[in-house]
Amino acid sequence: MMMIIIKMMLKNIITLTLNDLAIAFKNRTMYLIFFIPFFIFLSFKLIDHEETSFQKARIGLVQTEIYTQIILQTIKSADSVFKIFRVSNNEEGKTWLKEKKIDGLLLMSDKNQNSLILIVLKKESYVTISIIQKFAALQKMVEGNNLNWISDIISLQKGGIQKQSFPIWILMIVLLVGFIIIPAQVAEEKEKKLLQALLQTPMREIEWLFAKLFSGVILTVVAVIFLQLLCKFNFGNIFSYFAFIGIGSFCFSAYGIFLGLLCRNQASARTLGVIFYLPHLLPSALSDFSKTLTSVAPFLPSYHFYESIKAIMFDEYQTSNLSFKWTYLLLVGFLTFFFSYILIKKRFLI
Amino acid sequence: MLIKVYNLTKIYNKKRGLFPTSFEVDSGELISVIGHNGAGKSTLLRLLSTNLLPDSGDAWINGINLKNRVALVRKIGFVPETPNLFDFFSVEYNLKLFARLFKIPFSRIEEIMKEFNLLSFRNSKIQILSKGLKQRVSIVRSLLSDPPILLFDEPTSGIDYEMTKEIYRLLKDFHSKGKTIMFTSHRPEEIKTLATRILVLHQGNLIFDGSSQKYFKSKTYEELYL
Repeated sequence: MMMIIIKMMLKNIITLTLNDLAIAFKNRTMYLIFFIPFFIFLSFKLIDHEETSFQKARIGLVQTEIYTQIILQTIKSADSVFKIFRVSNNEEGKTWLKEKKIDGLLLMSDKNQNSLILIVLKKESYVTISIIQKFAALQKMVEGNNLNWISDIISLQKGGIQKQSFPIWILMIVLLVGFIIIPAQVAEEKEKKLLQALLQTPMREIEWLFAKLFSGVILTVVAVIFLQLLCKFNFGNIFSYFAFIGIGSFCFSAYGIFLGLLCRNQASARTLGVIFYLPHLLPSALSDFSKTLTSVAPFLPSYHFYESIKAIMFDEYQTSNLSFKWTYLLLVGFLTFFFSYILIKKRFLI
Repeated sequence: MLIKVYNLTKIYNKKRGLFPTSFEVDSGELISVIGHNGAGKSTLLRLLSTNLLPDSGDAWINGINLKNRVALVRKIGFVPETPNLFDFFSVEYNLKLFARLFKIPFSRIEEIMKEFNLLSFRNSKIQILSKGLKQRVSIVRSLLSDPPILLFDEPTSGIDYEMTKEIYRLLKDFHSKGKTIMFTSHRPEEIKTLATRILVLHQGNLIFDGSSQKYFKSKTYEELYL
């Protein structure tokens, strides 16, 4: 008797499991099951392989600085490892660093005659690690196991790891609202025929689109302000910072509305949202750790948003120095907004 | 002529939908659009309510072209088969939202809620209401702007006998107040004494257009329902 009951239960469980899998397949959740591993695999492929560390590091030397002969000759002779740039003074070197014209600036240390100070943009980056490794290898070849030539590393970007990682969290919030919350909200209105009901009123399509856009921007700004209040980080120029939060949330909210309008129901919107969320988040956030990703990421609007927030927070940049980046974000926002307008006008899947 | 439909067409997947259809409706008519599932009844109503865009053809309602949605929605009240209301909010919130969009004073909401016995449910969330009550709220919403034309898509689908009787009583009542009404049904017996005119759609084509008496004696009725 017991066996029969268990058998029946198992049958029902199998039936229901198969039904759940069929639903997952039908509402495209299954796509995520294949997409996520594939995406991670692709990201790994894009993150630098070992050979990348042998790419030339661009080192800045100050013309007025008197470097130890042995160090200077070693660096010069290692032309397959370093590319040397001459800067007139420290300030110019720092500017070049911020503009990413060089990867590191070398100064002689005041404390120790034979040691150097390496100035980099960010301590915890693949560039810094790579320069240190190259110097250690060269020094070992020339001098054996003496004290390290580089005695100190100075980062131009101030703040601890918490502040350094703050722009990634900001990017996450903006993308979460844009790619997960907004598309689901739009698709829900379509699925429950609420949009149909609203279109039965004298409301214009563009008004509905603007309302969705504003709600996305408001949600993002509120989340960022809340986070800012909790963490209390100095975010550089306040106008530029919030201008970029606004521009970024406009861009990704418009993008999200477009994605939501492409879906018939919430499940599809969720799947599509994740499919767009990960490729926008990871390459941008990981670009600090990989040269290959740094070359791929600029195609993504999220990268320009992330870089701008970083530049405003750490390098005292302002909107006026970042005109290409905000133009790009606005362009993506306007384009996706325009496509959304066309979709709603055509009553696509409504 | 209140409604003029000329070769209105909407085809899905080359097979289903509404094939070129033309007819005219006078003010004050109570028309039932009948046909089996997939006959094109809902498509016709959704086209007239501007919820769908036609592939070809045209229609004018009160002299306003179908393309002019913003002007047209004030002339038409559309009640869908499944009430599409904001579930998480109350009856009053839903009505106020639509009143705002129609630029109608809130006093109209009080008036209409009283008329339809919804005052005791004003603070109830839509999600806890029965389907019949949701349908009543949906009808009230469509009446907010006092449109001369009302379109009902399967108004009695999935509701009990008592509520069905109530809906038909309301249709008669609206009709007696001079409203022009079109509603769809796939149960012709129910509308025998209700409709002044019947349109029969079959596989997307208009195959009958005439009075109720004529229809129940016609071959179309025999072929489709007997």
